Amino acid sequence: MVSKKVTIVNAQGFHMRPASAFATAMGKYSSDINLKVNGNDVNAKSLMNIIAACIKCGHEVEVVCNGADENEALAEAVSLIESGFGE
Amino acid sequence: MLKGIGASDGYGIGRVMVVVEQKLEYTPKEIADVDAELERFHNAVEKFCEHTLEQADAIRKSAGEKEALIMEGHIAIVRDPFMNGEIENLIKAHQCAEAAVEQICKMFIDMFSATGDELTMQRATDVKDIRDGLISILLGIQEIKISDAPAGTVIVTKELTPSMTAGINKENIVGIITETGSQTSHSAILARALEIPAVLSVPGALSSLSSEEQVIVDGFKGEVITAPDAAVIEDYTAKREAFLREKRELENLRGKPTVSASGEEYELFCNIGTPKDATKAMAADGEGVGLFRTEFLFMDRNALPTEDEQFEAYKQASLIMKGKPVIIRTLDIGGDKDIPYLGLAKEENPFMGFRAIRYCLKNRDMFKSQIKAILRASAFGDIRIMFPLITAVEELRAGKELVEEAKADLRASDIKFDENIKVGVMTETAASGVIADLLADEADFFSIGTNDLTGYTMAADRGNGDVSYLYSPLQPSVLRMIRRIINCATEKGIPVGMCGEAAANPKMIPLLISFGLTEFSVSAPSVLKVRSAISKWTKAEADKIAEKVMSFKTESEVTAYLDTVV
Repeated sequence: MVSKKVTIVNAQGFHMRPASAFATAMGKYSSDINLKVNGNDVNAKSLMNIIAACIKCGHEVEVVCNGADENEALAEAVSLIESGFGE
Repeated sequence: MLKGIGASDGYGIGRVMVVVEQKLEYTPKEIADVDAELERFHNAVEKFCEHTLEQADAIRKSAGEKEALIMEGHIAIVRDPFMNGEIENLIKAHQCAEAAVEQICKMFIDMFSATGDELTMQRATDVKDIRDGLISILLGIQEIKISDAPAGTVIVTKELTPSMTAGINKENIVGIITETGSQTSHSAILARALEIPAVLSVPGALSSLSSEEQVIVDGFKGEVITAPDAAVIEDYTAKREAFLREKRELENLRGKPTVSASGEEYELFCNIGTPKDATKAMAADGEGVGLFRTEFLFMDRNALPTEDEQFEAYKQASLIMKGKPVIIRTLDIGGDKDIPYLGLAKEENPFMGFRAIRYCLKNRDMFKSQIKAILRASAFGDIRIMFPLITAVEELRAGKELVEEAKADLRASDIKFDENIKVGVMTETAASGVIADLLADEADFFSIGTNDLTGYTMAADRGNGDVSYLYSPLQPSVLRMIRRIINCATEKGIPVGMCGEAAANPKMIPLLISFGLTEFSVSAPSVLKVRSAISKWTKAEADKIAEKVMSFKTESEVTAYLDTVV
């Protein structure tokens, strides 16, 4: 299991478009991927769960990956979040 | 007879087709064959995605990228692996697919609604749409297809949506009736674009009209005549023919100058939204472009347009107009016009918030690149710059300073542009009306944006049916505002145009002639009508009407009087 804490930088947070892009990107990996936010575990492959978590700009999330391709998954997750999803 | 708002001219005589959302009723039942039910669910999802993609394409053509992206977002939701997994789990526990979809969607709707976050709560609406879409497919409910409507159909619906518009066959639809909307709402704009007579904001239209009943739609008066007898039908058939004849007569004014009956000449320009619209302006016999909205360059994309890209678009419009004047309005975003990648914060009161010139002056690099692009295009025609939403002299000065900076940059790089480019103000706020005398000292021209000017002066939202009765350019306050702006411009010797919808309103035209407007900028289909309307008045007649109108204290008196003379 690997994990890393990152801060959301794009102004609108995890709204529809980034959440959708993120969930789709995470869907490629076989590992379990979760976002820890405010003590909750959010399934990073589910757009709906990400939206429901209401993750805003400035929030800190911990990306937790567990499985065969956990390192690659973590690297992409972190880079997507840190880049502000290109916004 | 039902009363509403006449939003698109013409008379339509035909039979009603009521387009309503269907009730989604089913009896939840325990299912025995889990695999078959799973397959039924998966097929419904596939069908939903297929249908949504088609709709997104239709909307992309008729309404634009933003609306299309919302539709495509529905596909991402419906394909969510977690949501699908939960629905499948319920089906595996022998629930029917309808109940499973409903239950899981409800879970998310409740979850989203509970966040109290506006953006997240909006997504609950999307989930509701998806739930209804999936359940309709599962129940095999046929969507009413407007494209299948027979000749002589009058559409009756709550609101005319872009996806409905995509399905309208102009040959067959003779009228549109809606329960919501106003002269300037989306439904009205779409109806006018299609040249179909429309009456909007008819309360209870859906319940009081039934499919197949014969009605007459009077798009001028905003009336729906129900159960017309033979005499009434004959009367309206004659009116309809007269209207269509007049339409043909307008064609005779094509290519003629725009002059009043006493010989004063006016400029008659068009409002456009893309360089392609310039072609329409030319085809409609527009004498220039009085308002080139530049938002299209910034929308439907993920990043700012480059200076070169903007330059090409402005240059193209100018070339299409063959050297006729083109007034380019700088970026007017905010309010109801969001551009996602700019990351504008959600505002409590966006119309009074961070928009248009306010946003541009705070984002100088972006603004300067637009101004440079306009300047570069000015080497290819008669281009003028207009700033939107000016409320204070400082804003005009700051904008002009940036124009000078941009000019210096271009000079340094040896790039050609019009050194004497005119910089004007779109007077569309109450503040700009009140300080029109001060602005006229420093602006090269004014253009009155009556849509916002009316809204800001009356503090009334045109789209809100409860207050839209206040939203009228014929309100004494708005008329005084308009007269003042024109007077201030005339005193300082600068041209003053009007690019709001009021410029094409026949009742406004004698008033505008009398006040001293010099340029009318209207939508392409209105050019010949406005030329005809202007040709009917002498300056002296117009003055007499204006004097009388300005003596009234209420909008109803103004309207009643104008009804008798115009």
